[in-house]
Amino acid sequence: MLLELENVTLQYGRIQALHGISLTVDEGEIVALIGANGAGKSTTMRAISGLRPVASGSIRFNGEDITRLRADLRVVRGVCQAPEGRGIFPGMTVLENLDMGAYTRKDRNGIAADLERVLTLFPRLKERAKQLGGTLSGGEQQMLAIGRALMSRPKLLLLDEPSMGLAPMLIQKIFEIITEINQQGTTILLVEQNAQQALSRAHRGYVLETGNIVRSGTGAELLHDPAVKEAYLGVA
Amino acid sequence: MHFSNLFHQFGELTVTGLAQGAIIALFALGYTLVYGVLRLINFAHSEVFTVGAFTAVIVWGGFGLNQDSPTPGLGGFVGYLLIGLVAAMAASAVTALVIELVAYRPLRRRNAPPLAFLITAIGASIAISEFVGVLTHRNNKGVPRLIKQEEVFPFLDGKVTDLQIFIVVVALVMMVGLDLFINRTRLGRGIRAVSQNPDSAALMGVNKNRVISLVFLLGGLMAGVAAIMYLLKIGNVRYDNGLYLGVEAFAAAVLGGIGNLRGALLGGIVLGLFENYVAGLFATNWHSVGAFVLLVALLMFRPTGLLGESLGRARA
Repeated sequence: MLLELENVTLQYGRIQALHGISLTVDEGEIVALIGANGAGKSTTMRAISGLRPVASGSIRFNGEDITRLRADLRVVRGVCQAPEGRGIFPGMTVLENLDMGAYTRKDRNGIAADLERVLTLFPRLKERAKQLGGTLSGGEQQMLAIGRALMSRPKLLLLDEPSMGLAPMLIQKIFEIITEINQQGTTILLVEQNAQQALSRAHRGYVLETGNIVRSGTGAELLHDPAVKEAYLGVA
Repeated sequence: MHFSNLFHQFGELTVTGLAQGAIIALFALGYTLVYGVLRLINFAHSEVFTVGAFTAVIVWGGFGLNQDSPTPGLGGFVGYLLIGLVAAMAASAVTALVIELVAYRPLRRRNAPPLAFLITAIGASIAISEFVGVLTHRNNKGVPRLIKQEEVFPFLDGKVTDLQIFIVVVALVMMVGLDLFINRTRLGRGIRAVSQNPDSAALMGVNKNRVISLVFLLGGLMAGVAAIMYLLKIGNVRYDNGLYLGVEAFAAAVLGGIGNLRGALLGGIVLGLFENYVAGLFATNWHSVGAFVLLVALLMFRPTGLLGESLGRARA
């Protein structure tokens, strides 16, 4: 088991955002976390990457308890997140943004090879290499956010709403690339409102409602679950 | 108004203004660096300067130098200058780091509101300056004359002295060095990342607290250099000099665009020049009035300063 959350609770001030989340991600999987706005999907991501401290429960990664580990050290362990809203460094060029992904690494050759890989995965980023991150389109910024996270050569890639705000064609493209990244050997935990795409790409999925996990199963099981269909797939 | 005065002394006023502006600019970097990553006005930065200045005077005193000592030759100048620089830069950097660790970091850990930071900054500033005031009996302390301030070449109606050239050159070298550090090194990239998006920086593995310590350290080093230049130029120092010069430096940072390194340089030079032109036009004691009227007027038209607020941040 690569990632294991056990009864994780988290609070924003007095408001409890997560009420005891338990989930697992195995090596090589794509796991999707779906749910409505405000269900706690992004909060779960922030707990895993260490941006928000959890109130109770535990997070284990690769056999190590990382519940209280600083966010920057989790990157060293192999967890890297492409955050919601992309979180591009607007005043850095595309190449500098990608370099930031490799901030904790020292292996120059490995970094150069990964840069090649990312630019092959996203040819558009190669064309925009010298452009400032803040001047990219939404789709390009999403590619940059994913590419930047890949530059840390993560064991676990966290993707928070990669399809948000993108045109349908581009959503399709992004999901194809996500599958490709997974096939190249990176484990992925994906948060999505676009349940249809996410569940058809994922090996397994969890459904989050107001800070609780209410359902789980393989991607196909959830896609055909009547309750999930009604609530998240827009099918009555 | 003495337009003829301004006209006849234009060269003199320009050269003096450039040297003064260079000192202000070095001082201003500390405000701008800290603001860039924390969005905090570190008012205690003025005392970072003060502590550096007094430390240098004390260390020089330890070598038997005081304001009555004869001016040394070139070798002596270089030696004592380096000793003073090391002492002031070290003392200023340590002061800046201690302020961050003791005053600000605990507030961040508790997610304190911005007002708490502001009051803490003002409190730290007054506490340190008063402490220095009590220790020095609020007296002026004389500074050894390490350099004679001789004319090197004439310029229009005035002259350019060796000290003025020295101050401007040192300030430019420090600026270029800092700019390269911020824009070309890995640590510098970490600073820019935190300033542009702190959460994303953490997600890329940047240790935010280490970056914050680093900017306090860099700001302190620059303030230490500014302190030495100030001592050489003015020839004495008092516990509250930092407070007043600090207001000018802070104004220069805002004038150039706070958070923007090159803005601090430009703001310092513009402020230094303008103060001297106003002094020529009216009278010497009017220089601050003119400078701050300029600041207010300019911010009306460019609220984010001459070069805009950014540590390499171009908001799109």
